[in-house]
Amino acid sequence: MAQSNFDRRRINGPDESYQPLFESEDERETRWKAGEPRKGRAARDIRPIFLKAGLINQANGSAYIETEKTKIACAVYGPRQSKTTVYNEKGRLNVEVKFAPFSCTRRRVPIRDAEDRSVAVQIQQALIPAVRLELLPKSTIDIFVTIIENDGIEGCIAAGSVAASVALADAGIEMLGLVASSSAAVVGKEIWMDPTEEEGHIASGSLVLAGMPALGTITSVWQSGAMAPDEAIKCMEACQECCADVHSVMAQSLLENAPNT
Amino acid sequence: MAATSASASSSSNSAEQDALKALTFQRLHPKTYLERFVAEDIRPDGRDFDEWRDVSLNVGSISTADGSALVRLGSTTVVCGVKAEIAEPELDRPQEGFLVPNLDLPAICSPKFKPGPPTDEAQVLSDRLNDVLVSSCVVSTTSLCIEPGKAAWVLYVDATCINYDGNAFDATLLAMVAALKNTTLPKATYNEETKRTICSRKIREPLQIGRLPTSFSFGIFDGTHILADPTSFEEPLLDTTVSVVIDESGGLTSVMQLGLGIIGGDDLLNKCIDAAKDCWRKTRKGVYGAS
Repeated sequence: MAQSNFDRRRINGPDESYQPLFESEDERETRWKAGEPRKGRAARDIRPIFLKAGLINQANGSAYIETEKTKIACAVYGPRQSKTTVYNEKGRLNVEVKFAPFSCTRRRVPIRDAEDRSVAVQIQQALIPAVRLELLPKSTIDIFVTIIENDGIEGCIAAGSVAASVALADAGIEMLGLVASSSAAVVGKEIWMDPTEEEGHIASGSLVLAGMPALGTITSVWQSGAMAPDEAIKCMEACQECCADVHSVMAQSLLENAPNT
Repeated sequence: MAATSASASSSSNSAEQDALKALTFQRLHPKTYLERFVAEDIRPDGRDFDEWRDVSLNVGSISTADGSALVRLGSTTVVCGVKAEIAEPELDRPQEGFLVPNLDLPAICSPKFKPGPPTDEAQVLSDRLNDVLVSSCVVSTTSLCIEPGKAAWVLYVDATCINYDGNAFDATLLAMVAALKNTTLPKATYNEETKRTICSRKIREPLQIGRLPTSFSFGIFDGTHILADPTSFEEPLLDTTVSVVIDESGGLTSVMQLGLGIIGGDDLLNKCIDAAKDCWRKTRKGVYGAS
């Protein structure tokens, strides 16, 4: 991918550089064909989650989540004073997402672009209904998410929401419930939970759902691609079941960290 | 039962109040706070002046990068990844590839960094790291050439700080060199007819690594006290920072000094260099693993 931006604040390489091209004969024989079952897991299995709270001691709250190849670190700073002069009765929740340059198959330029922004907006929409912002006038809560390794954008959004929710709880910010999130994809006639990047490419449609299992509510649903309405409903139901499992993992990780504080 | 719990809570209350008072004092008068500790020959986190924090290094955990390393220097956490791309060499240097190191200090790592373009601190650190990597010749740029004048490798060495607790320079240099040591490049062949470079998926070769530098940073407090490996609390209170870079055979590669300048003259500088060599010999000699 040719990129010719000279960033005067960083060390720059050559004007244009492109990703290495590989021989076509080395094309992997492991291409998925229609009708084949999922490789490595059952259709409804999610990847094992490693979740740890409190790793970033500079922040008020933090969490690190790892699901096989997706690695995300999240820190929460706040509530702190709003920099704007406009009086805000309810607190503000500000989410910023950053992809590390080495996190995707193709190197990402450090400048923030539209994808960063869209992931941030989705995480924000998943969290806002859960945080008690009316208790924090004139304040801002800053949530910073750094994606260290990316294996599927839906997985990133789901894992990012989970990490942000655990970080908020770690910071002691009052919430109505923990927000759990999971993703699903429609591949052929089946529904596969927690798709990786490869699986996301072969899927016809995908769905990310975030909710609070403790209250039995949904906070955000994002569907993209082509799927029949009943498939979408089935995906949402499957995601809700997964969210309940993820919630217990989140609660466990917070309990483990609690004696340390 | 209630009486014992009440007395227990009152004693824990006074302990909590003392801790709160100490924390408030630290916030309002940081310099005096540090002076009081230094007068007792100890530092706020309990270390001696010449004591270094523990280092842990983890390589190769990021599959999307060609080489990666995660370093924890006490609480300071830096993750570094190397991505290789292909470009045309410069016209006046047709046999050389490119090495592009960068350090990012994002808002996630510390409350004093705000989101946005790289701050002065990040830019200065990136520049210093570039100097050290180039001057120590960790990777010779001629080894990155695929076809003279036509194609060469560009190694983007990007480091991101996840938690900033002082001394990002040492941690980042460690992470960058370890990531480069861990990097493997696909075998590339330049095709004259199609004028394109094709890489093999199956054959990967490790980089040719030159020297393996390690750096040791010291802070000079009040003109006389040398504090090794400053934390993020101590850093803004220091007059000068001295960084000593030592290569894998214990030889001195470079010495950098930032700040007001050393009042004590060469003596302090020699002490720093000796302390760095000492620490290298004792603990950091094998930090990059078997080569």
